[in-house]
Amino acid sequence: MSENDLIVAIATPYGKSGVGIVRLSGEGCLTLAKKMFRPFDKKCDFTPNKMYLGEIDLGDVKDKGFVVFFQSPHSFTGEDIVEFQCHGGIMVTQKIVDMCLTKGARMAEPGEFSKRAFLNGKMSLDEAEGVADLINAESESEMRCSTALARGELNKTVTDIQDKLSDIVCEMQAYMDYPEEHIEEKTRSEIKAILEEICQQIDNLLATSKQGKLCKFGVDVAIVGKTNAGKSSLLNRLLGTEQAIVTDIEGTTRDVVSGVMEYNGVKFNLLDTAGLRETKDIIENIGIDKSKQTIEQSDVVLLVIDRTRQMDKQDEENLCLTQGKNRIIVLNKSDQKNCATLDKLIGKDKVISVSAKTGENIDQLKKELFDKAFDGNFVNNSLVITNSRHEQVLREASEIAHKLLSSGDDLFFDCLTLESQYLWEKLGEITGVSANDVLISKIFSKFCLGK
Amino acid sequence: MIKEEFDVVVVGSGHAGCEASLALARLGNKTMLATLNLDSIAFLACNPSIGGTAKGQLASEIDALGGEMGINTDKNILQLRMLNTGKGVAVQSLRAQVDKHGYHFSMKETLEKQKNLTIRQCEIVEILVKNNKVVGVKNSFGEEISCRAVVLATGVYMESRVIIGEWTKDQGPNGFVNSKGLSKNLQKLGFEIFRFKTGTPARVLKDSIDFDKFEEQNGDENIQSFSFLTKKQPKNICKCYLGYTNEKTHEIIRNNLHRAPMFSGMIKGVGPRYCPSIEDKVVRFADRPRHQIFLEPEDKTGSEIYVQGFSSSMPVDVQEKMYRSVEGFENVQLLRNAYAIEYDCINSLELLPTLESKRISGMFFAGQINGTSGYEEAGAQGLIAGINASRKLNNQEPFILGRDEAYIGVLIDDLVTKGTNEPYRMMTSRAEYRLLLRQDNADIRLTPIGRKLGLVTDERYKIFEKKLKLISKAQKDLDKMLSASEVRKLYEQKGESSQSINPLAREVLKRTNISIFDLKEHFNLFKNIPENILNYVQTEVKYSGYLKRQQMLIAQMRKNEQIKLPADFDYSQIKGLRIEAQQKLNKFKPLSLGQASRISGVSPADIAVLTVYISMKNKQDKLKNGDKNVREK
Repeated sequence: MSENDLIVAIATPYGKSGVGIVRLSGEGCLTLAKKMFRPFDKKCDFTPNKMYLGEIDLGDVKDKGFVVFFQSPHSFTGEDIVEFQCHGGIMVTQKIVDMCLTKGARMAEPGEFSKRAFLNGKMSLDEAEGVADLINAESESEMRCSTALARGELNKTVTDIQDKLSDIVCEMQAYMDYPEEHIEEKTRSEIKAILEEICQQIDNLLATSKQGKLCKFGVDVAIVGKTNAGKSSLLNRLLGTEQAIVTDIEGTTRDVVSGVMEYNGVKFNLLDTAGLRETKDIIENIGIDKSKQTIEQSDVVLLVIDRTRQMDKQDEENLCLTQGKNRIIVLNKSDQKNCATLDKLIGKDKVISVSAKTGENIDQLKKELFDKAFDGNFVNNSLVITNSRHEQVLREASEIAHKLLSSGDDLFFDCLTLESQYLWEKLGEITGVSANDVLISKIFSKFCLGK
Repeated sequence: MIKEEFDVVVVGSGHAGCEASLALARLGNKTMLATLNLDSIAFLACNPSIGGTAKGQLASEIDALGGEMGINTDKNILQLRMLNTGKGVAVQSLRAQVDKHGYHFSMKETLEKQKNLTIRQCEIVEILVKNNKVVGVKNSFGEEISCRAVVLATGVYMESRVIIGEWTKDQGPNGFVNSKGLSKNLQKLGFEIFRFKTGTPARVLKDSIDFDKFEEQNGDENIQSFSFLTKKQPKNICKCYLGYTNEKTHEIIRNNLHRAPMFSGMIKGVGPRYCPSIEDKVVRFADRPRHQIFLEPEDKTGSEIYVQGFSSSMPVDVQEKMYRSVEGFENVQLLRNAYAIEYDCINSLELLPTLESKRISGMFFAGQINGTSGYEEAGAQGLIAGINASRKLNNQEPFILGRDEAYIGVLIDDLVTKGTNEPYRMMTSRAEYRLLLRQDNADIRLTPIGRKLGLVTDERYKIFEKKLKLISKAQKDLDKMLSASEVRKLYEQKGESSQSINPLAREVLKRTNISIFDLKEHFNLFKNIPENILNYVQTEVKYSGYLKRQQMLIAQMRKNEQIKLPADFDYSQIKGLRIEAQQKLNKFKPLSLGQASRISGVSPADIAVLTVYISMKNKQDKLKNGDKNVREK
């Protein structure tokens, strides 16, 4: 068996960053590291947890960097770990990985470090999931969500729901298993009240999952508008020159991102949708289909209209196309003479006048964008569901809870108890506590039963 | 000195021993039943009743498989009640007050008449084992009896000790002699021995009770009885009564706690949480002003009364004061004192799901010796041990019931995968698939299985087939389209919404306020179909959504059962498992992920670790094999 064979991966987020870390875990990692690292300090003995500066051999070139050795079991994975700290960016980190690969390591699978940490008893399932999210955290707010999870806040909240449920289950269960003990029946209205509370709690948690997802993957913003409406300048203005990432980053589920803007610690993926006009050109048609798709999949749409000109057929088409989407209408060129008829636009849509050229109202637009993305109720510093497995469990739990609540008085007691228990066990998929024995012990400690 | 040769010897003639020896003899094995005392055959040492929640299901399951408990109960019923009516059919259970003497005599008669079965009063003191295989037993007379298998069903008799206050004596229940030496023999054979404790209340003289101070409790009429063979419900011929302890009773107990063996340290055995003595209840639930007690007749004369809820091991003088403090008991005469009893039992984790020892071939265990409590739990194990001993001797596959098939399956799975550190009692809450494990469908679940095993007689099978025919006839009526206008009329009458009417009979029956008897009355359906069949059909329709959910969960569970774990694996290699889980897994070597998940001390997180580990291991194994293939090419 080779559970602890050498695995390697870039530990810092993929892309541009000041410092890059490459992590090597498994048996013999130090031996491997020594083959490609020459410390400046001649007395260097790679004392665990100490940083050593030296030269990293990258094949064709050499780069200055640090090496830290973590000795098993005192490391993230519980195995021996070597970390290379080098200059940020894709180039250097990738070259270190390549070097490790040629010297006998293999590429880690996604989440394999966490998996090993988990298998070596370094964390619970719940924590493991939180840490995996932390690793992928690319922005500040997502970091907040992830650490909250790691601290077990989710666990605490769900345990609280489970406790409420087990109170009902135990009492009903004792009432059924010991019919001669005159255990007072929980009234339907009492049960209903508790169930209502539970539904509310689950749904509150679920509601945060939208925010959690937006924090994790970023808010997809489609920028729509005809040419010359000032889309590109708006885009640049929003990105700000120093932040602008102009390369196209092909996401797995996203469309082409024209740039990433950060606001209040949340990532906004600005998606350009060029060429929204009717055409017979086949290639352009493909482009239009793609744009439509982008609009469809975006979280917020910025519809840019040139306020110095009358609205034409194409503007109207764009309005039509984004109808029903979560949109903000941006009237650009506020620095120039405006055209009065545009005011008629104002319906229930949010309309904001800006100048991409001078930067007028751009901060206001960012704020509107933020509010629009989170429906104006961004939960700060509190428990937010970012893990899709947790979300799935909560979704199923919510369904069971609501069904229980709505079936109300029609439900037989045995089914009511079983369904409540089923809900309890479902929530146990988050907390890890779902053994029937726990309930049975609780019955005994609560009631005086016997013959 | 070989006295005689048998296929199997069953040790003990309690409820487990009776079922085991009958099953063995009926399956054609030459069987000997050895008992300390013929007068203790099927003796109801504690309450004179059979059934109750979950236990009623067990008794029906024993019956459906071709066991004796249900038949013997129906022969001796004093009062029959259906518990939990109004709480849903899944938790409804039968409970019968029975004539304890009648119960003993009729079981003894059945045993005596059974072909292939020899009964003998003698004390077995040693199990003869050669090369980890049972070869015989030895009794206290020094006789050796050769056999290839043994079923140990010693109940509470091994090294038992009765305790009443400061007085104690090495004896079995009810003054019967106990078993000396067999427990030591088991220890020598390598079995871990536990010491458990149970107790029983006093029996009092009927004529010394003022019944006006108690609440009368009557039986139910027109309900199905225990055995599917019984055609007519036995008559209710006795009454029970309900009363209460009071503050004065509790004060007497509190003032004498220093004399209670439970608290003075005299009792060392572990007692059940669900069946506490009255002193235990008063201490643990100090805020309760009163506790219930039930008066139950011991036999049809009713002269001796069992006082349920009042078990104790207080000294006799305190007992008298306690009992007499109860309203209606002012002049009560205690005929037999309440007592506690300690006894030796084994660790059920040493058993296979067939109830055979993991180490010694041919050695089966059933009943209280496995740490359970209750007649029905014992009977169920006796039946399973008997069947499996027979199958082993005849080179047949082991017989194991799943948790989704029967309470018996839940019981045995709990015993062999979770073990128990207190006397184990069956409860509906232990059965996760209880909607499927009802009393009314025990025969549908198990009689075909019993038939294959060879225990279901032609008579029983004919009755069963007739029931199936009636059910399918009733179900055909459910596929009929009813007159929509008539359905509307019925809905209006019963307060059901008359919007979107689907006049299919089955759909109409799904409505909350419509019963199958409404359909019968208004639409002339279900001609000549008896009430119990209609009730069954109605349950299947009304519960269909929930039954489907349970089926789904069962399918999931079965998947985990199919993920096999390597038998020779060292779990301490997986550091992600908590130490307790590593030790437990190494000790029990579960056969599947499903079984591992039910071991106590193995948490869902441990199972998650195992799941990840196994999938990683399988992947690596596959990779390795893949490499090999490449190299070979």
